[in-house]
Amino acid sequence: MKPRRLAAIGVAISAFLLAACSNSGTSTPSGTASEGNQPVTLTLSGWSLSTTPEFQTLADGFHKAHPNVTVQLKEYDATNYDTLLTADLASGAAPDIITMKNVLHVATYVQGGALLEVSSVTLPSGISGASAYVIGGKPYAVPYRLDSWVLFYNKDLFKKAGVADPDGSWTWDDYMNAASRLKAGLKAAGSTAMAAYEHTWQSLVQGFANAQSPDANILDGKYAYLTPYYQRALQLQNEGAQPTFNTATANNLTYETEFGKQQAAMMLMGTWEAASLLAQQSAGTADTFNWGMAPAPQYSAATAGTGSTPVTFGDPTGFAINAKIDPAKLTAAKEFLAYAASQDAAKSLAAIGITPALITPSVVSTFFAVKGMPTDSLSKFAWSTHLTKPENPTSANTATVQNILNSLNTAVMSGSQSIGAAIAAAQSYFSNQVGNA
Amino acid sequence: MTELRLDGLRRRHPASKRPAAVALRVSCYLILIAGAVGVLMPFFWMLVSSLKSPDEVFTVPIHWLPNVFVWDNYLRIWQHSGILTWVRNTAILSVTVTFLQVLTGSFAAYGFARVRFPGRDALFLLYIGTIAVPWQSYMIPQFILMSHLKLTNTLYAVMLLQAFGAFGVFLMRQYYLTIPEELSEAARIDGLSEYGIWRRIILPLSGPALASLALLTFVNTWNDYLGPLIYLRSPNLWTLQLGLQTFIHTLYNANYAWLFAGLTLSVIPIAVIFGLGQRYFIAGIATSGLKG
Amino acid sequence: MMTTAESAASARPGTRRRSRRRMRSYLIGWSFILPSLIGFGVLTLYPVLTLFYISFTSWDIFGAAHWIGIANYQRLAGDDLFRTALLNTLYYCALTIPLTLGTSLSLALLLNTKLRGVTFFRTAAFFPYITSIVAIAVVWNLLFSPQYGPVNEVLRVVGIAHPPGWLTAESWAMPAVAIISTWRDMGYYMVLFLAGLQTVPKELHEAARVDGASAFQRFVRVTLPALRPTTFFVIVILTINSFKVFDLILVMTQGGPGTSTLVLSQFIYQVGFTEYHFGYASAASVVLFLLSMITTVVLFSVNRERETR
Repeated sequence: MKPRRLAAIGVAISAFLLAACSNSGTSTPSGTASEGNQPVTLTLSGWSLSTTPEFQTLADGFHKAHPNVTVQLKEYDATNYDTLLTADLASGAAPDIITMKNVLHVATYVQGGALLEVSSVTLPSGISGASAYVIGGKPYAVPYRLDSWVLFYNKDLFKKAGVADPDGSWTWDDYMNAASRLKAGLKAAGSTAMAAYEHTWQSLVQGFANAQSPDANILDGKYAYLTPYYQRALQLQNEGAQPTFNTATANNLTYETEFGKQQAAMMLMGTWEAASLLAQQSAGTADTFNWGMAPAPQYSAATAGTGSTPVTFGDPTGFAINAKIDPAKLTAAKEFLAYAASQDAAKSLAAIGITPALITPSVVSTFFAVKGMPTDSLSKFAWSTHLTKPENPTSANTATVQNILNSLNTAVMSGSQSIGAAIAAAQSYFSNQVGNA
Repeated sequence: MTELRLDGLRRRHPASKRPAAVALRVSCYLILIAGAVGVLMPFFWMLVSSLKSPDEVFTVPIHWLPNVFVWDNYLRIWQHSGILTWVRNTAILSVTVTFLQVLTGSFAAYGFARVRFPGRDALFLLYIGTIAVPWQSYMIPQFILMSHLKLTNTLYAVMLLQAFGAFGVFLMRQYYLTIPEELSEAARIDGLSEYGIWRRIILPLSGPALASLALLTFVNTWNDYLGPLIYLRSPNLWTLQLGLQTFIHTLYNANYAWLFAGLTLSVIPIAVIFGLGQRYFIAGIATSGLKG
Repeated sequence: MMTTAESAASARPGTRRRSRRRMRSYLIGWSFILPSLIGFGVLTLYPVLTLFYISFTSWDIFGAAHWIGIANYQRLAGDDLFRTALLNTLYYCALTIPLTLGTSLSLALLLNTKLRGVTFFRTAAFFPYITSIVAIAVVWNLLFSPQYGPVNEVLRVVGIAHPPGWLTAESWAMPAVAIISTWRDMGYYMVLFLAGLQTVPKELHEAARVDGASAFQRFVRVTLPALRPTTFFVIVILTINSFKVFDLILVMTQGGPGTSTLVLSQFIYQVGFTEYHFGYASAASVVLFLLSMITTVVLFSVNRERETR
């Protein structure tokens, strides 16, 4: 190649880079649109938009109340939401309103100055989950949705096995008894279904242990309280009452299929499963059968029964405001946050089967009016009455601790390590990782 | 079994050795076939599962053949998922990146292999050093840089990131080292410039290396997931791997039958290219003219 | 290694002409490298250098990076999880590198013929590499399923009463990953070896055969030496890739069960992208880089020594 041609290419490349660099800068300003009558467009991060209608529902509902504001949804890949959002926040391309998909990273976002504090947004009384977003005494996000963990059960399979339905007063011992009786009864009835399905996530065991055990706090680094919960889980799988962790992992079992195709009579899961099950039933990928929700089994009889408030766990999903938002849009953004937490929004969410953060009697009736929802009083009680403790405490150390506990979970449930050894290892890692951070 | 060519053997060895040689060849073939079956079994399972209904894919115990062949899965993936756009984007990216990598790599490799200048070996070590760093380590600084250059959410981002890799430079350099110096010397004496030598002597002799580099670059770009995930956000820019997996993630319950149908489809172009391009790997080098 | 142009120049009288020739040679060398170097420098080298800088800071992506000197490295030295990741990575390399090298070289030698049907076998060997990693993870998890998987079924039939737990057992997970990794990559390195085998002069082979050398002797005396640049290339790339193995483990075991398959790249990803300690993750990346580079430099010098022998 002649040197001259080479030089020409070099010039072209430099020109290209220079031209690209000259357009530096972050987001383009939206003009001087002020709140009130000027049209404002807010961008909002969402995921799986075609099967997650809640974002569009809230956008539409807000637009009706504030016709000059349009909420534009920006779709992210559901499984990689955090990574993609991180990349966008780093490069200044994140949307105006950022959905907090989980509580795990809120503290880090706040520490990094990525979110604006929203104490001026008034929340309705009785809303749950707001404390998860309070850091340093100030709130940085607003919850719009809070899924708690309940017990889903298949009434048809219970009947087939000749076992009485849950009555809302179960402790873990009652749950274990029911599992054994279901196992025997289903086998006698010739069914191939299992008594229960326990998904492979760490929250199945740890979420309940953390919420129900007295003085349990994962940020303390002491995990002996996990022992009885893991003993029960191992007992269930060794007995054959539920598929083993190894089989569930290796064979990629999905909880929607296990419960939806009636492979399991009981399943502990978050309340999002209700909407998921209904959607699959109408799509034909799940069977149609009688099912219901019961409160999760309790640590002791003190919190069991429909006269008490059962203890379970769950984390809110919320909206936060990007610290780099155009100041002219700030008022509209705060109004959107207030709307998302309001009863109107809660009812519109309940109407599509989502569990909102604010549960009032009219929200309950809206939710259970959805076609296909169970209508028995126990399901209503389980869905609406609970003390929901955080699955992930709000702290910058939570992610590190949860990684440690996840290793513990896989080590114990796969049978690779004994419970004692795994707990000891986790505590050692904790003092090493978090203690020295 | 196809008839084996034993002419060469017949000419060189006495007849008494022939049955043993035949037995050796046959057992070789048997081993190869058994090996091929073992190696292809996972792919076979994926192919078969793409024809199952979604809840039949992961069952306990494993189903090897579907109860009902659901050919519809392929139709669904083709119609409902925008797969044509993804294939188009992936093809554009793969071809462009392959072309650029082969061009810049072979060009730079000549400098590293045949021309002496100070700092050459240190610079080469620097190239290899960047291969030694895992991509996710510098992914974020790189993303920030690309967004300053206003290249995020464009196909150019992925093209540029892959086109200047050190791998191609390394591969071609090693190959150039095997080409005898005498050839270039003769050309130099004839008055050919270094660029001329590269284009007229070295490049034509590097057929197998160019073919391997092109193939491996093509395959890597075709199957790349993380790069497109971070840089290609608009659905009309998605590549095949990204589009398939994102599509599956949006479903209520990951439909693995559809995913496998999509993945089977995505393997076919590469398998075809590899099958057709094989003769470029096994090309004889014309070393005639060297003797004497 | 001097080019003829330079040796011719040094024989010529006149220093000015000599230095001009040398300058010309330098310029030519750099002109070849420049197109690749510009792109590489801006898009890869610059971010990598930034990585080195970040390793001396504490940075959570959003805010500014605060300089903290070697505190990250000191923390690494006392980090048990990092030590586990390091040992796991070395274990993985010790298993995978010889296995992949041996398999791919054997395949290349075996399939470097013009026999009919060899195209099919070469394509079959390459198939695992072109299969999507998601599919690979799912399929191999299934095949290795301890209770219902075909691998253990076969082992039980053969007489092993308690077959290993493979990916679900701490002591077997890494060997299982190594097997899958070899299965996946052997076609890739086979292609590289095939290209290299084409450079082996056929005349030498013929001459050796006429001289009565056995196939093995021909392999050792003719093929291997001619293959050296390719073998060196494959070993370096294989070593580097093994040190930084990531996506296979991420989709298959996520570092589990427990921490038995947690490798350095995964540690870096976990610390950086789930815990947002990017400065710390960068320090770990630098350590990984140094490991690979030291090994590469050692390989380079061994290779150079062999070359000049």
